Amino acid sequence: MPDPVDPRRFAVVGHNEPKVDAYALVTGKPVFAGDASSDGALHIAFLASTHAHARITSIDTSRAEALDGVSLVLTHENTPATMYTTAGQGFPEPSPYDTRMFNPTVRFVGERVAAVAAETPEIARAATKLIDVAYETLPAVLSIDEALAPDAPIIHGEDEATGIHDAARNIVSVVDVDIGDVEAGIAGSAVAVDTTCETQYAQHVPIEPHVVRAYLDNDGRLVLLTSTQVPFHVRRIVARVLDLPVHRIRVIKPRVGGGFGVKQEILLEDVTGLVTLRTGRPAVAELSRPEEFVSSRTRHPMRVRVRLGATDDGTLRAVAMDVISNTGAYGSHGLTVMSNAGSKTLPLYNRAPDVRYRGRTVYTNLPVGGAYRGYGATQGYFALETAMDELAVKLDMDPVEVRRRNHIRVGETSPIFAAIGEGKPGVEQTVGSCELERCLDIGVEEIGWADKRGARRRDGPWVHGVGMSIHMQGSGIADVDMGAATIKMNDDGSFNLLIGATDLGTGSDTILGQIAAEVLGVPLAKIVVYSSDTDMTPFDVGAYASSTTYVSGNAVRRAAEQARAQITAVASAMLEEDAGGISLRGEAAIGASGNRVTLEEIALRSLYGSDQEQIGATASFVGDESPPPFLASFAEVAVDTETGQVRVVDYVAVADCGVAINPHAAEGQVEGAIANGIGYALTEEMLISGHGRVRNPTLFDYKIPAAPDLPRIRAILVDSYEPTGPMGAKSVAEIGINAPIPTIANAIYDAVGVRLRNSPFTAERVLAALDAVASED
Amino acid sequence: MEFVAAHDLDEALAAKAEQPDAELLAGGTDLMVEVNLVHHRPKQVVSLRRIGELREVSSTRIGAGVTWSRLERGDHRGLAEAARTVGSPQIRAAGTIGGNVGTASPAGDGLPWIAAADAAIEVRSKARGTRVVPWRDFFVGVKRTSLERDEIITAVVVPDDIPEAQEFAKVGARNAMVISTVSCLVMRGDDGFRIALGSVAPTPIRATAAEGMLNAEAKITEAALDEVARVVSEEVRPITDHRSTEAYRRHAAGVLARRLVERSLR
Repeated sequence: MPDPVDPRRFAVVGHNEPKVDAYALVTGKPVFAGDASSDGALHIAFLASTHAHARITSIDTSRAEALDGVSLVLTHENTPATMYTTAGQGFPEPSPYDTRMFNPTVRFVGERVAAVAAETPEIARAATKLIDVAYETLPAVLSIDEALAPDAPIIHGEDEATGIHDAARNIVSVVDVDIGDVEAGIAGSAVAVDTTCETQYAQHVPIEPHVVRAYLDNDGRLVLLTSTQVPFHVRRIVARVLDLPVHRIRVIKPRVGGGFGVKQEILLEDVTGLVTLRTGRPAVAELSRPEEFVSSRTRHPMRVRVRLGATDDGTLRAVAMDVISNTGAYGSHGLTVMSNAGSKTLPLYNRAPDVRYRGRTVYTNLPVGGAYRGYGATQGYFALETAMDELAVKLDMDPVEVRRRNHIRVGETSPIFAAIGEGKPGVEQTVGSCELERCLDIGVEEIGWADKRGARRRDGPWVHGVGMSIHMQGSGIADVDMGAATIKMNDDGSFNLLIGATDLGTGSDTILGQIAAEVLGVPLAKIVVYSSDTDMTPFDVGAYASSTTYVSGNAVRRAAEQARAQITAVASAMLEEDAGGISLRGEAAIGASGNRVTLEEIALRSLYGSDQEQIGATASFVGDESPPPFLASFAEVAVDTETGQVRVVDYVAVADCGVAINPHAAEGQVEGAIANGIGYALTEEMLISGHGRVRNPTLFDYKIPAAPDLPRIRAILVDSYEPTGPMGAKSVAEIGINAPIPTIANAIYDAVGVRLRNSPFTAERVLAALDAVASED
Repeated sequence: MEFVAAHDLDEALAAKAEQPDAELLAGGTDLMVEVNLVHHRPKQVVSLRRIGELREVSSTRIGAGVTWSRLERGDHRGLAEAARTVGSPQIRAAGTIGGNVGTASPAGDGLPWIAAADAAIEVRSKARGTRVVPWRDFFVGVKRTSLERDEIITAVVVPDDIPEAQEFAKVGARNAMVISTVSCLVMRGDDGFRIALGSVAPTPIRATAAEGMLNAEAKITEAALDEVARVVSEEVRPITDHRSTEAYRRHAAGVLARRLVERSLR
């Protein structure tokens, strides 16, 4: 373990370096997959199922194929029957193999039934309407309760599917954990709380939808230029589906216009690649906004019940969480999102000796769940932090104080860390950094907690209230996720940094460059970052599970340290000084004597002078643990008691993410996640008809927050140092989205005394809750 | 697509006379949505954007081509308030009141003001010249008007005696760029109160029962305000759709009407 370093001594890390890709982005360079020239490319359009559950009895593509300009029509009849999962996870994926490229049974409205490749997008779209499909409709399952009903229709009865826990009962996965005796713990507690919260279908709404361009290189290899979070998983899964050797595929991720988890999924690369292989021509597929909503991936809706038992001084004795997660028609991320609802929440309150977790993931004939920022923790925290607020009310204690008495601290552990993993047991870990107390202190001060809590300030029909919640997440998947980095030195003392890590607009290319620059004693400009190209960069699992800063960052640090050792060895020979006394600063190696030799001189000598050797190294990193970042979240809301409208007036999010490699970028992650979460809390909801059809698959009717809807969001980073992190860093990308739902729900309670347990908190729902309370009185 | 960029009204009227099915393009904030979202492909388009006379404003006549961003700064307070809630700054810079009238969406943000003002719609055709249609006769259904195929909306004609006390409010899923769930405009003048509402019927409507009740009161008491809310909730005719429910719209219409009547008294 490296010694803690005072972050204020860093030269590049901890500084707000401009993003390395900023200039190309703001000057409109053609940096996205959709920007690539589509000259001569075939355009792909999809035909989607109009049934929630139906068997295709016949599919006639002859009229579509006869249309002028149509090159190819793909259906289940002429595509591989290989079973796989679209979830872009490590191998073997902990998601069931329950789909094929085109399924002969459709399981949700919007499932792709056929693809047309044609000379123009218009022809391709027109041709989809000429495909004649006959369906035998099957009874559909449109809710969690219907899925679990005794005689529920079976959604995945096919023999070919593997990895389903109990297909006959529509149960994808089960996690049961018992530590101590939770029933006895609750029964023996002075105070108990029992609360159930439900979350809605929501979509990630990346500005850039899924887009892929496929072509053959001069050696006939398949190249996929794709807006993905997981280029190496794309290569592996497409190879399997198309029965192609991995070495015949190259995946390149260019700039990406947002992922948020929805691009941790292999949705278009297989079809686009197959069109190119069958026709020999480049091909382009891009989802429309409605397709992005309906046919890509969503956040798993969950029903989460939390029961707490506590002593009358507010110390938790027992925590029980029961989760039912709706994965929709396919089990993508079904097990792991459900697991994270417990594994990323329960360790936060490690005082309780009795802990129970029950998780079930069920199939329905509804849109498919997937990875979405927060990854189950978001859903779990709604119920857990609502229950903690209810506990505070029952105890007549300050909600902040109840958290202070129960949250995990440095040097402590939780049995949940080892009990719940991602498809296998988790890892034991001891918290090495936790500044939650400081986060709470700052949040209380900044929001004006003491003055505003319980004050119910009135402003006409608007009543103000404040609420809070606390959170943790992880930094990568311990013992699973691997990232690697290669560094090589150039003539002028600059370096190429080649990383498999995947920048989605998150700034990871920049912060990984900063880590390398820090170790090598050069400015960021001397690090040429190239990432996410399976031919050119080393392996990395990709951007998910809040892994990149910690996992890929540690790989970069190691590679840079190895390169630094090679540089100091050369410098030692040049300076005729002991390598142990040589440090790298200001683009030079400086000996203990104070004599120096520039990196350029070192590079020239090692490339052209004597004992020539390429200075460079490749290093890998897998976490032994997944250090949690922490967050204290506070909001002031105003509730219109007559219309039920809720306005977020002020928001303070105080995060412990270890050392922020690039503070502006880290603050941006927190601000963005809070904004994302405010939308999820107040307006974002995919409305689904009684036939399983999404009724609002456009940005007209599905409302994400715009600037006038957002309060000033104050993202504050506290000083912290994670001993196992690169330069002391932990993750920061996901944690913020967990906060707004419980924070706002608790603030609404403070304002008007009603508990919102179903998100989003629309005016209609808030008014109904107010009416319900009024009629009780 | 055939595109006519008319330089003056006569040129536009001639084009419309020749091709009555041509789509009219002003700000494009409705038409381009149809084009982009529903893949509507008009065969002919007549652009009105260069026609200066459609952009003229006086206190009694608002040219059809006047944009929301101008109305935001205009003299009619309620219309200015409504204009501020339209779309985004970009949409307000392009979208026009004539377009709002022509589209005739039940949620059109300018329409409750027109109803409260008892304004009329001035339309013109090459064949029959100008006619002025009272708003009640102009809006006939959801996105349906009595505009003839060869006619162009040229102005909103405003009576010169409308009350200066004007209040507007709307409820929507969020603040920015939202289609309203309910909107309401109240005017208070010497002749009493006028209450108009949007998104609660196929067309903009006046809450005539509530107006009658209020205008019979000697003094507006709390009880009278409560009664306004109740009567408005009863007389609106909203529907349930994916944006809200009938019940919520009824309730919110009453709340907004009561609130704006109260505000107009201050």
